[in-house]
Amino acid sequence: MSRKGVGLAAFDRSRITSAQYASHGSSLRSTDASAFETQLSVFRSLLQQFAQTHAKDIRSNPTFRAQFARMCAAIGVDPLTSSNTSGGADKGGGGGSIWAQLLGRTVNDFYFELAVRVVEVCGETRGENGGLIEVRKVRESLMGKSMEGAPEITEDDILRAVGTLKPLGSAYSVIKVGSKPYIRSVPKELNTDQSAALEAVQVLGYISVPMLMVNLKWARARAQTALEDLVGEGMLWVDKQADECEYWSPGFMLEGQQQQQQQEAAG
Amino acid sequence: MQSSPTPTPAPFAFPREYFFPPFFTRQTNLTTHHAQLVKWASLVLSYCRHHRIFKLSLSGQSPTTTTTTTTASTTTPTTNLLDATTPSSTTSDELFHNRKLNRKLSLADVREVIDFLRKDGRAEYVGGGSSGKDSGDVAWVYWRTPEEWAALIEAWVDETGQKGTVLTLYELTQGDATRGAEFHGLDPELLQKALGTLVKRQKAQIFGHEDSQGVKFF
Repeated sequence: MSRKGVGLAAFDRSRITSAQYASHGSSLRSTDASAFETQLSVFRSLLQQFAQTHAKDIRSNPTFRAQFARMCAAIGVDPLTSSNTSGGADKGGGGGSIWAQLLGRTVNDFYFELAVRVVEVCGETRGENGGLIEVRKVRESLMGKSMEGAPEITEDDILRAVGTLKPLGSAYSVIKVGSKPYIRSVPKELNTDQSAALEAVQVLGYISVPMLMVNLKWARARAQTALEDLVGEGMLWVDKQADECEYWSPGFMLEGQQQQQQQEAAG
Repeated sequence: MQSSPTPTPAPFAFPREYFFPPFFTRQTNLTTHHAQLVKWASLVLSYCRHHRIFKLSLSGQSPTTTTTTTTASTTTPTTNLLDATTPSSTTSDELFHNRKLNRKLSLADVREVIDFLRKDGRAEYVGGGSSGKDSGDVAWVYWRTPEEWAALIEAWVDETGQKGTVLTLYELTQGDATRGAEFHGLDPELLQKALGTLVKRQKAQIFGHEDSQGVKFF
């Protein structure tokens, strides 16, 4: 197509060609843009419609809510990003995330309210658990407190709610101990030995130095240090009335009672 | 509310921590220990409230014979009068000793809980450490403080329009008229304390002798 011209006329020709290319390109761009804009507006209105029709379900039905959140993640819309964090000054009107605008804040508010309650639970129990609490416990606590007919909350919701706290630069984060998610409300790192010990505690609710030595093939000093460090952090409770000193997870208080009640029911 | 004392009260629903073995060991971590004390304090209060225990025997958990002035400690709590006044050792035993777990709170730790309650004005040692070896082994547990009892009595007197009339202390806590009131069956000594606060505020006047005391409300 492009034959290299010779002589002065070639300069003119190349100038004309590039101008033509440019104009064609810009026309293509504008059609693309307008097409995309219509797509976006269609998508917006559909999403809005969807959210409006299902607002109730989103709030009350945990499975539906989870699916919805997953769908949003799949299409690259994070329902919770930066709503309100930018101060609402950008883009003139409205402010907040597209999501908040679309959903009339239903979903956002749900998670923000939940986050507040999660923070409350963490704060209330910090004295007894050193700021490390299993997500399952948070859920139990929340469900126990909420009134009859209140929407059910899943662990997934709680994890998402904790995620909303991130823009605040707060100390709240989710860590995994073994396979179970925990919410850590005190900015402290666990070393690998401590994590391993905590993971071992999950099995029975408690652990002792000899148990760690046998199961993890640790030296006595190593096991002792890990457990005492965890006690020092307030994450384990000591029971000195056992044959061997036992170290208990405060999260186990609930199961203990349930077991007791089961025993009573059985006996 | 449920002041008509039934011979067999509904079993006390222990909180979850009561079934948590380390709950009976003094925690070494300060923060944890504080959380532990808070839990124990609220457990003691709600337990005593449930069983209407006014005086808690701290050493009642050890089955050793305690020679006290209250010789008439009947083992069966059939008579509600005695039941209310003398803390039956079995119940306080249950409180600090979980037999199923085989865990118990040591006396020193119990005292710490009582001290914790004292700081809150919710407990007080009986006798204040005067009567020899037995001193400090029994403590008032104020799930209602004397002031709160006084307010209840005052409200009742007000409601029933008995201001200015003389009531005997006996009929206040044991009489038929107060059956159903929460202070029915109140420990006589605690009643004295409660009325004492009213006297101090010049809302009441006590007269008479040991056994036949009367009180007049203004």
